[in-house]
Amino acid sequence: MTGLTLSSNLSGRALRWRNLGAACWLGLMTTPALAHPHVWVTMTEELIFSEDGALAAVRHTWTFDETFSAFATQGLSGKTKGRFTREELRPLAQTNVESLKEYRYFTYARVDGKKQKDAFGDPIDYWLDYDPEKTELTLHLTLPLKKPLIARQLLIEVYDPEFFVDFGLAERNPVKLVGASPQCSLATEKPHDANFPPALNQLFTTSEANIGMGMNFANKISVQCP
Amino acid sequence: MNAFSRFDGMRRHAMTVGVVLLALILFSGVIVLVCAPPASAQTLPFGAGRAVPTTGIAGWVFAKQAIFYRTLSGEIRAAKSDGSALWALMGIAFVYGVFHAAGPGHGKAVISSYLLANDETWRRGVALSFASALVQSLTAILIVGIAAALLGATAKMMGDAVRAIEIVSYGLIVVVGARLLSAKGSGFVRAAEALSARRGGALGDAGNHHAVEPASGAHQHQNHGASSCCGHQHSRPPVDRHHDHAHDHGCNHSYGHDHDHTHHDDHELDVMPWGHAHGPEPQELAGPEGWKRGLSAIVAVGLRPCSGAIILLVFALSQGLFWAGAVSTLVMGLGTAVTVAAIATFAVSAKAFVRRFATDEISYGSVVVRGLELGAAGLVLAFGLLLLAGYMASERLVGF
Repeated sequence: MTGLTLSSNLSGRALRWRNLGAACWLGLMTTPALAHPHVWVTMTEELIFSEDGALAAVRHTWTFDETFSAFATQGLSGKTKGRFTREELRPLAQTNVESLKEYRYFTYARVDGKKQKDAFGDPIDYWLDYDPEKTELTLHLTLPLKKPLIARQLLIEVYDPEFFVDFGLAERNPVKLVGASPQCSLATEKPHDANFPPALNQLFTTSEANIGMGMNFANKISVQCP
Repeated sequence: MNAFSRFDGMRRHAMTVGVVLLALILFSGVIVLVCAPPASAQTLPFGAGRAVPTTGIAGWVFAKQAIFYRTLSGEIRAAKSDGSALWALMGIAFVYGVFHAAGPGHGKAVISSYLLANDETWRRGVALSFASALVQSLTAILIVGIAAALLGATAKMMGDAVRAIEIVSYGLIVVVGARLLSAKGSGFVRAAEALSARRGGALGDAGNHHAVEPASGAHQHQNHGASSCCGHQHSRPPVDRHHDHAHDHGCNHSYGHDHDHTHHDDHELDVMPWGHAHGPEPQELAGPEGWKRGLSAIVAVGLRPCSGAIILLVFALSQGLFWAGAVSTLVMGLGTAVTVAAIATFAVSAKAFVRRFATDEISYGSVVVRGLELGAAGLVLAFGLLLLAGYMASERLVGF
């Protein structure tokens, strides 16, 4: 991983220098930040709350683009040509989840604006589906929180800091709250979404995704409970 | 020989090539304008704002290559039923290559540093860029062609293969860098010694072209790659006013001293920052030796295939159009070579500019030029080490 992950505790001034340094580095050497995505993921998310109102798990449903789906299924043989059963895809799903661990499942949590370090445990269930019509793979995985999060303001971000994978929330109903108090409100922000409440935007200017990258490609899911 | 007219000539050539490359990039820009509107409509089904551009030129390049990359797979699919889509595929592959080379993994930095350190010509820079891009395209085609098409390997196996190749490639960059650094280190030390020796007045002689140990009046030519028939150790009169640096490759010296200055293969060790030893003659470049010199750099830089090329080739294979994928990978390589060559030419021209200030071979200017070469050699080594250690990631192949 890049140095980006090391920078969460820097002060504002240090950040400015970091940005400057990163800009120079970018200009001269073109670091991974300039790598463009090779994988596109359309995601729908479920946030699962426990009875006491704490966030217990995040359930990802990630659909890969057709090109990457073809790459990922290369060399796999299904019983029926052009189709793969969940069972046939099990080894691939396991490989996926094992590699995702290194990238912290691309999932980050903040409580009342404070970044939660290493908040998620290993997935409790995961599997792959293949849609033979669209020739697309979909990865399902449920990430439990190591410690359930109780917060008035909860923020879940999904992104790849290296931007090899471009995550995007699905067009319709991308996020569902499961078991949350009815008073909780949900807001989502796609990258560069001007509709996000300005007060919250303030909080996200320090988002790791934006540091030194000059970009803003994190998908943000924010839940506010009274 | 007049070093100035020579370098003016070189700069003119470099400029011509720069202009040609710029024209090619502009030409690509025109294709961008022609192709982009349908392409973006077609490939961003989720509406604007999915692939998020940064601002400025970097953001523009960044956004464009992402769009072109997505367009490529669409064109491969279209080519299944519509032969004319192949032309669009080739056009987009070329432009994608031009843009994509701005990203990591195409050896711009390594090639440019290598050229600077080695005091190469723009011509060799262009040749190196195209050769390494060709190697890069071929490794991608061979990996997918052999592993996936013939052996039915999975994505994971190909990922492992790429990782192994990557390590070899980065290791080679380290080796090339280390070799350059040791050579350039002694070149720099000798230029600095020559300068301090002259300033010290020990040998107030403008005609002396060599770093001399003033006390003994003898010097030893170390590190000259080819062994000489006469041996390196030689002594000479304390003041050598007539030594005109006309290198004699044989043993019959007309000078009072026994001086053998065997021509070194790599030109890495000559004291002079300008003169005959620098910027190899065209005939040297054309010969087999000329290619051998650059081969290590070409392989080191080109060995690691492009992740995008591998994914697209596998996709083309799944569509039963592997050959179309292979041809567009080669065209893509052509595009990356244009960008890398433009950057390399710029680097070489910049150095030629700096070199104008090296008015005399024993001067601050020449020490600066030597220092520049040393720094560039250090950079090649640093790139290799950082890549090998994973601090400077090239491109990822699998995140899943």
